[in-house]
Amino acid sequence: MHAASAAEHGGSVVEPVPEVEHKSRLLVHTVPSCCYRTIHSDAKPKDPFTLAQSDLKSLYDDIRKELFVSKEELKFLCDYYFDGKGKAIRPMIVVLMARALNIHSNRAGDLLPGQRAIAMISEMIHTASLVHDDVIDGSDKRRGKNTINNMWGERKAILVGDFILSAASMALARIGNITVVKVLSQVIEDLVRGEFMQLGSKENENERFKHYLEKTFKKTASLIANSCKAVSILVNSDPEVHEIAYQYGKNVGIAFQLVDDVLDFTSGASHLGKPTAADLKLGLATGPVLFACQQFPELHAMIMRRFSTKGDVDRAWQYVLQSDGVQQTNYLAQRYCQEAIRQVSMLRPSPERDALIRLTEMVLTRDK
Amino acid sequence: MFSRLSCRTLSSRGQRTLSLFSSSGSSNWTKVVSDAEKIVGYPTSFMSLRCLLSDELSNVAMHVRKLVGTQHPLLNTARGFVYDSKNNLQMRGLVVLLLSKAAGPSHAASDLLTQDMVSGIYPSQRNLAEITELIHTAFLVHRGIVNLKEWTVSDGPLKDMQFGNKMAVLSGDFLLANACTGLAQLDNTKVVEMISSAIGDIVQGLYYENSNNVEENSLTDGIDMAAWEEQAFLSHGALLAKSCQAAMELAKHNEKSQRMAYMYGKHLSLGHKLNYDLQPFVKSTGEPATFSFSAAPVVFHRKIVGEETWQRQLQQLLAAVKSEKGVSSAVDLCCYHGNKALEAIQAFPSSEARSALENIASAITKF
Repeated sequence: MHAASAAEHGGSVVEPVPEVEHKSRLLVHTVPSCCYRTIHSDAKPKDPFTLAQSDLKSLYDDIRKELFVSKEELKFLCDYYFDGKGKAIRPMIVVLMARALNIHSNRAGDLLPGQRAIAMISEMIHTASLVHDDVIDGSDKRRGKNTINNMWGERKAILVGDFILSAASMALARIGNITVVKVLSQVIEDLVRGEFMQLGSKENENERFKHYLEKTFKKTASLIANSCKAVSILVNSDPEVHEIAYQYGKNVGIAFQLVDDVLDFTSGASHLGKPTAADLKLGLATGPVLFACQQFPELHAMIMRRFSTKGDVDRAWQYVLQSDGVQQTNYLAQRYCQEAIRQVSMLRPSPERDALIRLTEMVLTRDK
Repeated sequence: MFSRLSCRTLSSRGQRTLSLFSSSGSSNWTKVVSDAEKIVGYPTSFMSLRCLLSDELSNVAMHVRKLVGTQHPLLNTARGFVYDSKNNLQMRGLVVLLLSKAAGPSHAASDLLTQDMVSGIYPSQRNLAEITELIHTAFLVHRGIVNLKEWTVSDGPLKDMQFGNKMAVLSGDFLLANACTGLAQLDNTKVVEMISSAIGDIVQGLYYENSNNVEENSLTDGIDMAAWEEQAFLSHGALLAKSCQAAMELAKHNEKSQRMAYMYGKHLSLGHKLNYDLQPFVKSTGEPATFSFSAAPVVFHRKIVGEETWQRQLQQLLAAVKSEKGVSSAVDLCCYHGNKALEAIQAFPSSEARSALENIASAITKF
């Protein structure tokens, strides 16, 4: 099928896309404004990590400087996850997108200070939410370390999350652009609403999937989408460019979470640094389970009772692995990546733009 | 340090020592607040209604009902929202509104139109008042989280505590998130920065809130008044102080107004905290009072009498505190802050709103 083969070719698809014509005024014009476009630029696609490295090198140091607090223990806990050992996917996407947008907007690629700040802020907001999620989920490990709530208690963990959030807000305000503040504040709200969405289960099967995708957007994709949008606002006033950045972030974010949900079923505990079937154990029905329902209707009742009966988790896991739930979820992730590629390809070619395309492949093929 | 505790600045203060232990304190407070509410146009208790009626919080309310019969602190916090008490739920918002009104219309060239004012307050200032309450409430809720490792069988089923925690985290986060988006809508990055820093202050103030308790910190010497004030400012003063300043910034009032508004908010909060801490020590109802070891009179008493005496008096604690000078020191400090707040508010033109603020500042020094 069309979309699947595109993924197999590693993204170098040439396809006719009628709607690009009215956008050709926007494209800066090394690309011929005929009705199709090549996605690869002439240079070889570069590795996203390498390209982003110089910008990200001091990212964690700078974040720690924002977490200015006199009390030693609080400082230690605020810094706890900013040890440079995280994947830093979000800041990486942000800096690459920022550079790609800067080039698209006829400037040098270098990051504006505000764009750099947004990379930091996105990671801070993400981390703050993780700290709270660990309390909500009762997790005792994250990234191979003991969680803050496990070691220092739930009360301090919550305060630490609140503090990181306040520091992120202050840094956000200091950029001085109120539109950027609005865009990223929305993320904070989306994160909480996404968490609330996980509290309930939907009866109707069709509603369930829609609910799952909406929750996935709020909990994962919103941050990436809005961070991309924010960096675009700082360099470009064209709302269509903002939309390109947003859509790339949104689609790659959803794909990222879908793959994460798959890995929860397919990878071993030691690989991820956290136990597997974690979602099932929390009572959550993710993509693979929802797809597997079609072949194993027994899963309906289990989903409604949030896998709370003894043996549910194991049985559900078995059903999923026997079904094509994993494959279907992966395929869906591919389609989101395709859309992400389609969007970002509307930007002027640059190594960073190609790295963003390459990144979608990496999202699909990662094993941890 | 003690020199500033003398309350001899205004002659009317002489009256104060006589009325210090009168029981008409609480009805006076209620009247002051209800008069003030009329000035700003509506009972501020309903301010966060829109947020409280949201789907998410209705959802939480449903879940919180399951906590009835358990010992999770969230239940008490939730109960407190329904049953008003002397420590008025929406006092901060009320003060922000009054101050906005007292400061009058904007004199700077700005987009602020007099016709947008309702009861003399700009919409952005009203929204700020609401945001202040959201943040305050969020932390009330977050403080109700329990450390699960300290759970004992007498706390009831562990899963109740886990569930209560989950609800507390989520609802607190929801309120904070709404505060953040609300702040963004004020269209002023300075204000966003100010209020965000207040959130950071609250965290720092609360972080060691429990470590003043004897159970956790019996090896230390106790803290002195300056340290107490610093702590109390972070946890109880920063939010109101910075919100008051922010209200002035929203109307583009000058730096002096901002500073005085900040001072009013700061000193009022500290005085209010002292008043609150003093309640068990100045009331003479027959029932046994509960109080925190981090309450001001206790903290000051401990430093004054020394550690040995403190340990000995633990058994007779309430009576012992009353019999020493901790209570009057705290009362004096409360008067000091009340006076400073009154001084600060003089910077604003005379008005009904300003009088209401003066009354509030005076009321906190009455016991």
